[in-house]
Amino acid sequence: MSATLARPAGAGPSKAGPGPSKTGRGTRPPRGGRRVTKALHFLTFGAPGMIVYLLLVLVPIAMTVRAGFTNRNPANPPTHWVGLRNYRDLLHDPAFTGALRNTLIVTVIVTVAANVLGLFIAQLLDRSGWLYNALRSVFFTPVVLSSVVVSVMWQAILSDDGLLASALRGLGVEDPPGWLSDPDLALYSVAFIITWQVLGFCVVVYLAGLAAVSTELLEAAEMDGAGRLSRFRHVTWPMLAPAVTINTVMLLITGFKTYDQIQVITNGGPGSGTTSTIAFEVVQTTFTGNHIGYGSAMATLMLMIIAAISVVALRFLQRREVTQ
Amino acid sequence: MRTRTSGRTGAVLGAVAITTAFALSGCAAGGDTAKSDGTKGNVTMSFLTFETPNLTAKYWDDAIARASAKVPGVTIKKLVAPSADRVAYAKQLAASGQLPDIMIAVSPNGFAQAGQLAPWTDAELTEFIAPHSNPIGGKVYQLPYNTQPTPLVYYNKSDFAAAGITAPPKTYAELLDAGAKLKAKGINPFVVGGGGKDTWADMFPLIGAVATDTYKQTPDWLSQKAAGKTKFTDPAFTKAAAKVADLAKSGYIDTAGLSRAYTDVEQAFRDNKGAMYPMGSWFAASADAQKPGFDVGVFPWPSDDGSLVVPAYTGGGMSVSAKAPKVDLAKKWALAFMLDKTSLDNSVKTDGSIIALKNYTPPPGMGPVYTATAELYRQAVEQNAIVDAFSIETGDGSMPAGLPDKAAAGVADLITGRKNADQFASFLDQEWAKANR
Repeated sequence: MSATLARPAGAGPSKAGPGPSKTGRGTRPPRGGRRVTKALHFLTFGAPGMIVYLLLVLVPIAMTVRAGFTNRNPANPPTHWVGLRNYRDLLHDPAFTGALRNTLIVTVIVTVAANVLGLFIAQLLDRSGWLYNALRSVFFTPVVLSSVVVSVMWQAILSDDGLLASALRGLGVEDPPGWLSDPDLALYSVAFIITWQVLGFCVVVYLAGLAAVSTELLEAAEMDGAGRLSRFRHVTWPMLAPAVTINTVMLLITGFKTYDQIQVITNGGPGSGTTSTIAFEVVQTTFTGNHIGYGSAMATLMLMIIAAISVVALRFLQRREVTQ
Repeated sequence: MRTRTSGRTGAVLGAVAITTAFALSGCAAGGDTAKSDGTKGNVTMSFLTFETPNLTAKYWDDAIARASAKVPGVTIKKLVAPSADRVAYAKQLAASGQLPDIMIAVSPNGFAQAGQLAPWTDAELTEFIAPHSNPIGGKVYQLPYNTQPTPLVYYNKSDFAAAGITAPPKTYAELLDAGAKLKAKGINPFVVGGGGKDTWADMFPLIGAVATDTYKQTPDWLSQKAAGKTKFTDPAFTKAAAKVADLAKSGYIDTAGLSRAYTDVEQAFRDNKGAMYPMGSWFAASADAQKPGFDVGVFPWPSDDGSLVVPAYTGGGMSVSAKAPKVDLAKKWALAFMLDKTSLDNSVKTDGSIIALKNYTPPPGMGPVYTATAELYRQAVEQNAIVDAFSIETGDGSMPAGLPDKAAAGVADLITGRKNADQFASFLDQEWAKANR
């Protein structure tokens, strides 16, 4: 699409500058024709995407928000409009508040641990050579695996009859920890598994960030007598700000959406809600409990929380990028 | 210029036309394949199954082929639930308007009340021994083809002998004594599951205790609860819950089970990680088909006074969607599947089913564990000692949707000591109230 065609009517000269157009005739298509062409361009290239986004994202969100104001339960008709009652009930529902607490714990652990370990490993792998290339692939492999596959694998490792417990028993530990059967440990085990899976993503993003760090700046700092730690703190770290932003926001969203691992590994237990997350609770409430209205309110609240935290984190981290 | 613009517009219009054509043809194709396989007169219907170590893909495929051969005009599209929890999967499908046309062993609770299932008529139920099992609003929505005593206690005879236990416990006091003797010998008394997606697998000790301590005295106790006449915090229920908590506190229930999924917990019993395995009667077939390295015996969950009580559930058969393309044909196919002698025999052999059909006799040569299980059930019927299996009921007065899962989570709390019996009972009352809001 040429600049001439894309420019709105009466918006002044094109970016190509005043004077004759590239056709050399100094004329433009008639106004009506441009509008029609523009509309057709939109219909061809924009509309399919917009329609898909509208039908598969916006409409379901709108339907969920609407259902959240009702008592919809297919096993207990009729459906009534209940206003904010579902939201008021949620605030006093231990299942929801417990799930929110668990979600926050998982999110914080995953965000902090994956960022710290990812940066550390990226520093170690920021070298050339076949070994480092191979190691990068190794670290990235869990990212491309299905969460269900990862969950099944770690379940086989961490269950009380699993590889880790067997190894510990082999080493003389009589009563190894119940990584998945102990209600006080299970949530942290799940957070560890998620961290393990997303670590490769962080490593790759930090490696890309490290590649963009100016070697001139590092050499200048070294010539000024800056030590290794000082060079990292005053040169590398500030220049990694965009990578920190990407990783942090992605990890926050990943943490808040935690569902697959819970469903496969713990089913929210052991016990009542010890590892239940908001996403898990939404599915349980909506599909197992038939409380579509209440579950929709939960999902809406989850959407609002994720959106709010993501926006705040993004603003904060992007401001840091600018000031750095 | 004119030529270029005309060409571009033509291309755009063409693209729009192609896009529209693709969209419309996609819709049309989807509409066709949903109900027909292309053969004139054939109707394609979806059938929701589930796979377990006993009920393999081959088991289902063979049974489907036999039923389809008897009912021409039906093509079955088999759906397999991603886990043994086919009810949750069916609900997810229903929520997106894709409730399967035919389902097996899916509790009709919730679906029936929402008008999603077609009721079975008396004429269609003439072959069944208990045709009116688990009614919802007076109508039967699931074919009651099979009875499953749940749980019975399967035990390792070698472990019992090693611990000096000469006979299976008949009273609850004898059960505790057996637990103490086993533990003294360094043998874990009970293998109980509940890990991974199979949290339900920790329920069996509680189902046994509720049978002997609650349902024996008041068989319709749960219906009374649904009517608001009883509460979980009543002593009739808390006594049963306290027994589970005490067994765990005494170290007779290994908490390792809370990380074991259903298949893992069965393997744990086979691997001699505990002497007693409270489980549904379907384990009998598994124990006979793949005999563990020890002899397996079976006894009912003991009551205080030693009287026989066997919790059992009769149902487990087919349900048909009220929106199936041809409900009558779907019912005909479902009945053909359920009444097929070969399928029934296979169900007995592979899943230890006790078939609840008139004139049915099990295949010859069944193994010793199934035979002992069936004999125990026969004695219970003879002594009028059958009660409902707590949390597995599906008819009027059964637990609200989602509550069995909450109960299973609560049992894990009892086992780990996070809740005592009173707290567990109070939790169930709260969850019941929430489920009915």
